[in-house]
Amino acid sequence: MSRRRILAITRRLLQQFRHDRRTLALLFGAPLIILALLGYILRGGGDVPAMGVVNLDEGPLGALVASTLESSRTVAASRMSRQEADAKLHAGDLAGYVLLPADFTNRAQQQHAVVLGVELEGTEPALSGTIMQAVGQAFTALASQAGGVRFATQVSYLHGGANFDTLDYFGAAFIGLVVFFLVFVVTTVAFLRERSQGTLERLMASPLRRPEIVLGYMLGFTVLALVQAIEVLAFSLLLLHVHNSGNVGLIFLLEALMAIVAVNLGIFLSMFARTEFQAVQFIPLVIVPQMLLSGIIFPVTTEPGPLQVLSRLLPLTYAVTGMRDIMIKGADLSWSSLQLDLAVVLGFAILVIIAGATTLRRRIA
Amino acid sequence: MASEDFAVEVDGVVKRFGSLHALAGVSLRIRQGEVYGLLGPNGAGKTTLIRSLVGLVKPEEGSVTVLNRRMPNLDVLAHVGYMTQQAALYPDLTVEENLRFFAAINGVHGGIREALEVVGLWDRRGSIVSSLSGGMRTRCSLACALVHKPELLLLDEPTVGVDPLLRMQLWDRFQKMAREGTTILVSSHVMDEAERCDRLGLIRFGRLLAEGTVAQLQARAGVNRLEDAFLKLSEASAA
Ligand SMILES: Nc1ncnc2c1ncn2[C@@H]1O[C@H](COP(=O)(O)OP(=O)(O)OP(=O)(O)O)[C@@H](O)[C@H]1O
Ligand SMILES: [Mg+2]
Repeated sequence: MSRRRILAITRRLLQQFRHDRRTLALLFGAPLIILALLGYILRGGGDVPAMGVVNLDEGPLGALVASTLESSRTVAASRMSRQEADAKLHAGDLAGYVLLPADFTNRAQQQHAVVLGVELEGTEPALSGTIMQAVGQAFTALASQAGGVRFATQVSYLHGGANFDTLDYFGAAFIGLVVFFLVFVVTTVAFLRERSQGTLERLMASPLRRPEIVLGYMLGFTVLALVQAIEVLAFSLLLLHVHNSGNVGLIFLLEALMAIVAVNLGIFLSMFARTEFQAVQFIPLVIVPQMLLSGIIFPVTTEPGPLQVLSRLLPLTYAVTGMRDIMIKGADLSWSSLQLDLAVVLGFAILVIIAGATTLRRRIA
Repeated sequence: MASEDFAVEVDGVVKRFGSLHALAGVSLRIRQGEVYGLLGPNGAGKTTLIRSLVGLVKPEEGSVTVLNRRMPNLDVLAHVGYMTQQAALYPDLTVEENLRFFAAINGVHGGIREALEVVGLWDRRGSIVSSLSGGMRTRCSLACALVHKPELLLLDEPTVGVDPLLRMQLWDRFQKMAREGTTILVSSHVMDEAERCDRLGLIRFGRLLAEGTVAQLQARAGVNRLEDAFLKLSEASAA
């Protein structure tokens, strides 16, 4: 062991970073950006789930529960009629509503158990959980005032069901994501290698048109991505039994579109990296923020306002929503929300294809 | 048309990289079927000049005409073979797969065996490129530039690392191809190779210092060896 030799390696490494300011900036900047983003999402005072309170109670206790819920900070509760609540639930404007029955006060005063109806939208387990919690808390508060009210909830789900779990919720989004991210990374690195091994120079000195290069890449990686998509889909549906009430062909269509976006985003962004090392840096810069903002983990509706705007600009947000609409809600092409999601992803695919082809041309001049 | 005879016409080409003049007004013409040698020290601008012929470098001033087509022009590139200074190959493909690819993007199917036989790599066609020796990689890269039988061959130091025997064979081959009508532009530092060119251009600091046959250059410098002529002409223009 020679101290000098070891230190020579250490010094050389640090020197390399001095010449690669970008990596340095990333090393010290990215963690702060990611943590700040996470902090903002979680503590930035975003929207809480909207819930309805349908109070049919003829006595005073129902109103008491309703006002407790309305003053709750964890949900945004408002009183409404049953028809209104149902309509809003179907439109996706409510995460759920609680039904306080007509004989609520009556039964409570006779020390009978009260049966509450809770209707949940069901797509997002996190929101459903918050609502159940808020209802529970409202009754704990009631119990301390009115003394010993026993209650039971009868929960029904618009989508999914009681055994709809977190995997069902995340699974839908991740099926699309896995393909997107892996294809993105593989394309970026492959394209950079083309640059660093000098073969891109050869391609540019051939009659190949830039769009031909981009399309060739796109086809090649799309074939890989589609095989991967089939594998991921089969594994998720057949072995993991991830909930799916939609058309498998539609899921595949959306995955294919995402793969095309990923390939072209990879080609486009590889123009901004000199080395494979720098390409890997796109993971924290491009992928992590998208993971946080596209609604995969944290529902977009619960983000702070400004971040919601940002989320709506990211194609992944639409892909994730579309994927969940298909798999969880059983959406088909007649749904306008799914049409929008597909249109946005398709539009973005076209945008990155053009961006990839034009940057390729500019870089060479 | 008088220009019919020229495969390459470079007219007052200027290319800067920042404040550095990689090409400071180069003009030259290469006749069809000629072997033209580009000589010059490191950083003289040889590679930059060759890259400007295939449109990889966009000149700030001047014009480049290749096979009677004003560059940049993608279609004409199907008739140009460009061998880059560093062997540019797909390291995880076999020799033959590399050739097939470069043939296909230039719109031809055959010619693979012939190209590989020229560089003596037919026996190694199944080898993965990354497992080849350095000189073999250079030869494979040369084969990729030949495979579509181009009318104009641009060779950027094609024989670096190639053993003497094969180097001699390659030059025989270049001269034969030239006799059959192929125009060859080759950059080199090696003087004995330069002697096998029909005409030479001496380039330094992005300028063409002198041009002519070996005999002409020697006569101009008043010396017998090409090497001396080169040194003398370089000094004369630097002064
Ligand atoms: N892409 C580039 N960016 C910046 N400078 C460049 C670039 N390409 C070439 N140069 C500069 O232009 C000058 C000419 O380079 P060029 O590669 O043409 O030299 P060369 O004659 O081929 O040298 P060699 O014999 O070493 O291959 C050099 O000073 C080089 O640093
Ligand atoms: Mg060079």
